[in-house]
Amino acid sequence: MTGTSYPKLDETVYRKVLPNGLRLAVVPKPGFAKKQAYFVTDFGSIHTHFRFEGREYTVPAGIAHYLEHKMFDLPGGRDVSAEFAAYGASSNAFTSYDMTAYYFSCTDHFDESLRLLLEFVSTPHFTAESVEKERGIIDQEIGMNLDAPDSVVFENLAKAMYERHPIRIPILGTAETIREITPENLTLCHKAFYTPGNMMLCVMGDVDPEAVEKAAREILGDGKGEVGEKIRDWDESMTCAQGDVGDAMEVAMPTFTLAFKCPAPGKGDAAIRQEFLADLAAETLFGESSELYLKLYDEGIIDSSFGGGYETIDGCALFTCGGDSMDPEAVRKAVLSAAQDFSGISRTAFDRMKRSAFGRRIKGLDSFDATCFRLCAYAFSDFDYFRFPEIYKTIQKEDVEEFLKQTLRAENSCLSVIFPVREGDEEI
Amino acid sequence: MLTHSEIFPGIHLRCVQDRRFKHSALSLQYIRPMCREEAAMNALIPSVLLRGCKSAPDLRQITQRLDDLYGAAVSPISRRAGDWQTTGLYLSLMDDRFAREGEALTEQAMDFLKELLFAYPEENGGFLPEFVEGEKINQIYAIEAEFNDKRAYCAQQLLKNMCREDSFGVPRMGEREDVEAITPQSLLSHYRRLRRESQIEILYVGSAAPERMAGLVRKLFAEEDRAPLPLPAQSCLRLSKAADLSERMELTQGKLCMGFVTPVTAKDPGFPAMQLLCAVFGGDVTSKLFRNIREKQSLCYSIGAGYYSAKGIVLVSAGIDFDREAHVREEVLRQLDACRRGEITEEELTAARASLISALESVPDSPGALESYYSSMVLGGSGLDPQAHRKALEAVTPEDLTRAADSLTPHSTCFLKGVSQ
Repeated sequence: MTGTSYPKLDETVYRKVLPNGLRLAVVPKPGFAKKQAYFVTDFGSIHTHFRFEGREYTVPAGIAHYLEHKMFDLPGGRDVSAEFAAYGASSNAFTSYDMTAYYFSCTDHFDESLRLLLEFVSTPHFTAESVEKERGIIDQEIGMNLDAPDSVVFENLAKAMYERHPIRIPILGTAETIREITPENLTLCHKAFYTPGNMMLCVMGDVDPEAVEKAAREILGDGKGEVGEKIRDWDESMTCAQGDVGDAMEVAMPTFTLAFKCPAPGKGDAAIRQEFLADLAAETLFGESSELYLKLYDEGIIDSSFGGGYETIDGCALFTCGGDSMDPEAVRKAVLSAAQDFSGISRTAFDRMKRSAFGRRIKGLDSFDATCFRLCAYAFSDFDYFRFPEIYKTIQKEDVEEFLKQTLRAENSCLSVIFPVREGDEEI
Repeated sequence: MLTHSEIFPGIHLRCVQDRRFKHSALSLQYIRPMCREEAAMNALIPSVLLRGCKSAPDLRQITQRLDDLYGAAVSPISRRAGDWQTTGLYLSLMDDRFAREGEALTEQAMDFLKELLFAYPEENGGFLPEFVEGEKINQIYAIEAEFNDKRAYCAQQLLKNMCREDSFGVPRMGEREDVEAITPQSLLSHYRRLRRESQIEILYVGSAAPERMAGLVRKLFAEEDRAPLPLPAQSCLRLSKAADLSERMELTQGKLCMGFVTPVTAKDPGFPAMQLLCAVFGGDVTSKLFRNIREKQSLCYSIGAGYYSAKGIVLVSAGIDFDREAHVREEVLRQLDACRRGEITEEELTAARASLISALESVPDSPGALESYYSSMVLGGSGLDPQAHRKALEAVTPEDLTRAADSLTPHSTCFLKGVSQ
């Protein structure tokens, strides 16, 4: 394997693309007891439409997440979690809109745990009975999600803003869509997207990169499978599909997200530059050193839960701010008026913001978990995350100013609010 | 290695020097008794201090100072430590070696902490009214927002009810009316007393040598006029009479919380066994509760047990269908009975033990984890460092576990159910 060193970050990464197409990255951390591994597929909840082996398929919403649950079953009634636990490793998985990640961390028995990770994620074993049983558990998870204001506020927003893009549908799917999930369509998705050519393995810790490669080749083999071709038939206009959305839930205070629809940045250096630049724009407008934050905080309209950012998901991008507020409408007014009055950023303020963003990313490298995740997620966008210092260098204050000018328009914005139920309608 | 020195009477500095990290963590905590009279004020003080100091008089300028320090973060701390409550600030700072011009960030950050702690603006013998009023509202919101996370809310209601006569029942941020009653003057006079009388704990994890940190801490407190008082000793749980609670609300899923008590606390020699028992009983995906109630019987989505070792309380929390309350309660007790009868498989025990040990072994790998581990170890915790803790967990026998399970007694429960039930 070849090592690339990043002197600015004091890190080295060993990388290789295996004959089977798997992307491999190992970040050696001598002197650390903890070892972390992420095995990730470039397949998430929005990828429900694809071509594979000469045919076109549409699979039910929620299938990526359902598949994640079912991967933990192995033939012969083996219990993956128990096997990890016996090694003292703690394992878990998550599904997002555009990827599914399986991971573990441990201090001992790394090689055994790594082999187990590679084995279980590459071994489909779906029986009619076990798929049926999972439905109850996922139904409960959907129920739990419906009681979580933070999820609902975002899901409502996505549905209101997008007409075609599958971000409209919750990652878990709905009670109706998951009825359609069968061992057959689970197997199909596994075959199309869990082939090494669509995946990445990232390891961080005091490990030997060659040993990681050896384990990956032994367990996954060198054979290269076909990768499902995602059909991205989700062209979207920049206006929102519908207007503002509101819902009542058991919350103490209204919680909201205000979002502006942005063009999807695509992949590669230019896309990542766009993402970092948009994060700086969010910092400029919504950050704790912004005029807006100071004003709204002093007026008691927002509290420290308020924050903003830029989210990209395969095929869409959103510039958002949100938090708890007694008056979300006032926040929107203030944001739009700040956009109107925006006259640019001073050089000093811009340099300071860049320095701060750089420092926060350096600090973040102490977290193995976050770093493995970022290395994978950015690799799927064809970018080497450890090159972030040089990307920051190319961003000028004019870029950020232009972004804000282009993005902050009332017509591409949407406000999603969760209001408290209570008073008046508590006893039905 | 953890080093300790008492810089001035009642001001303790503990350091873990480690050059592997890219950032450092430092906590500075005033230790107070946990009581209803002080809780709201102790929680409020750090937020007010973070609103502005003389050289950075508003949020914006504070953020700018932190941005100049490469995105340093200072956040308020107010933690519960058994019968004590801490109040203070937490600093996370990029390591000096990444600074472009080789700036000494640690020195600059400590100077800034000093300004935040002691150079606050005053008005009419109080803190600035706008700071105090604004942060009071935020704290009231934060108290009310605990209601949003229904699982946590359910647990909290139960704990409050079990500990009506104990400091553990005092909400960490106080009650709404306690916050409302605070004035800029009452808060400042409380803060002055706290600066003068409190024991202070500073915990640093990072690349700086303990001697360098000692110098900085000495400088930090050089002008403080102090007459520190000893802290009241930690006491056993004063348990209230059992009473089951239930509440109706708009929910898709019911939340059940069951409270148990044990005389075994963090100070007890039986602590590692109790900790291991809780992991076997309801720790993670290999625990009895998760395996049997969620996986085998699909009775719930989530279930787990938590051990509040300062007071010897174990809570089992589950997200369940509304009509399954009785069934789940029964099953939880059955699983506990199995533990009492010693029906713990080798596999269950190995997994639980390995998981606790692995977590301990990872502690030295993160500044945040080290800060949090040592902070609770020092503040009324078990007194076991990660190595000693590990050894103690390895020595726990199946008989110790049976004994731990036997010591657990069901106390009371709380159930959040749907409006139409």
